[in-house]
Amino acid sequence: MGITIDALKCTNCMACEMACSYHRDDGFAFLSACIVAYRAREKQDYFGVMLKEEENLVVARPEGLEISRIGEEQDPDKEADASAKPMLLREGCDLCEDMDDYGPMCVAFCPQDAITLVD
Amino acid sequence: MEYLSTEKILIIDLASSAVEEEELEESLVSEKIGGIGITKYLYEKFENDDPIVIGCGLLTGTTYPASASGVITAKSPATGKLAHCPITYKVGVEIKFSGFDYIVIKGSAATPSYLWIHDGVADICDAADIWGKDVWESTEFLRELVGDDLLQTIMIGPAGEKQSDYAQVCYNHWNSPDRFGFGKAFGTKNLKGVAFRGMGLIECADVEDYVSRSLEILKEVKANDFLSKQGIAELASAIGEENLTDWLAPITHRHSADYFTPYATITALFMDEDPKIVEETKVAEPGILTSDIYALIALKKAGFSAEDAGRLLRETAKYGIDPLAVVELSGKTSLDDCTAAFDGLSGSLALKGKGIFSSWCPARPIFNDFGLSGDDAEAIAWWERRQAVAGIFGIQPLFALMCPELSEENMLELASLGTEIDLDQDLLDAVVAYVCD
Repeated sequence: MGITIDALKCTNCMACEMACSYHRDDGFAFLSACIVAYRAREKQDYFGVMLKEEENLVVARPEGLEISRIGEEQDPDKEADASAKPMLLREGCDLCEDMDDYGPMCVAFCPQDAITLVD
Repeated sequence: MEYLSTEKILIIDLASSAVEEEELEESLVSEKIGGIGITKYLYEKFENDDPIVIGCGLLTGTTYPASASGVITAKSPATGKLAHCPITYKVGVEIKFSGFDYIVIKGSAATPSYLWIHDGVADICDAADIWGKDVWESTEFLRELVGDDLLQTIMIGPAGEKQSDYAQVCYNHWNSPDRFGFGKAFGTKNLKGVAFRGMGLIECADVEDYVSRSLEILKEVKANDFLSKQGIAELASAIGEENLTDWLAPITHRHSADYFTPYATITALFMDEDPKIVEETKVAEPGILTSDIYALIALKKAGFSAEDAGRLLRETAKYGIDPLAVVELSGKTSLDDCTAAFDGLSGSLALKGKGIFSSWCPARPIFNDFGLSGDDAEAIAWWERRQAVAGIFGIQPLFALMCPELSEENMLELASLGTEIDLDQDLLDAVVAYVCD
């Protein structure tokens, strides 16, 4: 089981980020989320989603998914953005294993169904 | 007020440089609920100091759908009346997470200043480096200074500094719903802008039920057909004003949304890059983000090409001036003539209803009829109530006009779950009457 993200469906609303942080913090915050709407390229209107898994960093760009093993050197021409840095300090996605009624919270709360659970 | 809140009201006196904090008392929430209810209360409390009050709705920044917005409450330089301007994009949410629910800005600074509000700390800073710069340059300067591209700003440009009646506060780089000349209100205080960033945690009294009910409401919202649509052209078509779809299509890039708002109300127009580009553009300023339906309608009616309309919107956003005022009051019909007219406008824009809510928002339902008959007076009364309710709870004001599933009943239910305060319909009716008075 895992999460897949269609960045072209994403509208950059940050619902995934809030839902994930709720799972971590039992309150409303953004700091603890392992899934983040990256939005630093505001003038370029370039946005998507980053997900930290246990061993991988998934960057869902409009042009496609990019999965890199954490610790491997990144392509310098494809820097994610400033908010990627603290991503590596966050806990990896556990698919909200303790949220029996919901499944992964980011999937449940995405208004665009841009985030889905796959086998 | 322990829940759905930072518990703090910030009082800034620009004249004396005093920065004080007050506790947000539970009794005030029990009386005025939040958002516009409390910004108006604070405005009246400090009225002798000609305050600008910035605030968040009670549900802002939570899992309630479209809980995106904040509000600026001040006396409008354009109308002379107290007015409320929604804070959109992700700026409203950032205010709450920066550590304050409400910010009262009193007096005038002796020299140009800006406010830097971050993680529960508020600083009055010298704006010498950005005074004279446009909105884009100023926001970028502060982001670079702080080293954070996600810094959110409320900013004025040259129009506000020159105290134009049509000066607009802008959000980050973009035009805002400000049709009240609040940019002038900032300029007369020597206040260039306010920058926000925060990593706060908002506690919720019954967080499990709050989240569970939020998800149930979201599912009801998602069952509504209009969510198959996106963007500003669809909004213009839905209100029957003007068909912008074919006009905008050749320059439309993507659509995006305010925080957790299921309808993407923001459309990116690319004038200087191929709008079909999927990867990140290398062009520094490819276009503009906009959610100003009426400015685009006016530009199309004035005979602008979509590309020139986008370019004019970009210039108005940089200058910090209301694009609708530029088009309607200048009477000019070309990009160069309109740009040259920024400093010479006169006249006034039509208000809607009592003129206390922004006419940036259509004064009628969008996509769903909400059971209205079509009578104009009924629609205006409904619109003012809906804008008041959205402003009290922090709901994205355009989405509030689309989505009947976001009901007063479930906003009150979630607010009560979140705060452990019994907030009922009688109280909401009283606060709406107070706000609309």
